Amino acid sequence: MPRYELCVILKAMQRPETAAVLRRTVETLLARGAVVRSLESLGERRLPYKISKHDSRHTHGGYFSVDFHASPRIVSELLDHLERDIDVLRPTVLKKDPERLQALCCGAQAERAHTATSR
Amino acid sequence: MFALSLSRLLLQALPKKPVTPRATAQCIRSLTTSQEESLKKDDMPTKMENPFKSPPKTCILCNITVDFKNVQLLSQFISPHTGRIYGRHITGLCGRKQKEVSKAIKKARSMGFMSVTLKDPQFIKDPDICGIKHFE
Repeated sequence: MPRYELCVILKAMQRPETAAVLRRTVETLLARGAVVRSLESLGERRLPYKISKHDSRHTHGGYFSVDFHASPRIVSELLDHLERDIDVLRPTVLKKDPERLQALCCGAQAERAHTATSR
Repeated sequence: MFALSLSRLLLQALPKKPVTPRATAQCIRSLTTSQEESLKKDDMPTKMENPFKSPPKTCILCNITVDFKNVQLLSQFISPHTGRIYGRHITGLCGRKQKEVSKAIKKARSMGFMSVTLKDPQFIKDPDICGIKHFE
């Protein structure tokens, strides 16, 4: 199953309410057959620009990141569900590329080429 | 008579036994002394790595992963006045890294991690990588 990352910005709320939102988000994920890998908090900070969502303008928000494995079919449904959630300001699902052998960067590549030619 | 004696002299001058020089490698080697041989061996250049080799040219972000969450790093490549992304001739990054940084900045902007029109005030005092002199 491909690996996705859900970066979500929640409304600035009290701790129990934030926990409730995260709980129901993860529960929707699990209900659709996703395997949640991890849930990280990226802190509560001031938004880079004011976001108008669900009839109000927000200046602060809580950033969270959910790492999960899921079938590609549920991604659009999930985004639809999160857009309708009042407490979620901006949901984004990104695909995480599998860690293939990263092509060497310029310096390392040049070095390798040099050693190969010298031999 | 005179002619005969001359020829006799010549015959006497010539060596009696013909010496056939056997020019083999061993013979030639034995002609040179051992000292000369050792000098010749020291004179040959020794094999070594080029001592004047310059270090491989790398850009600043070589072997550093660029992430859209790392807003501080990305903010070093945007203008503090307008928030615009600097070009390749200003940042000095290699093609691949410039593209990665540019993509990450755009991603961060759309996802609500980074501002579009300005540079976050807390990152203004960061060290200047690009070395651009703004009009004053």
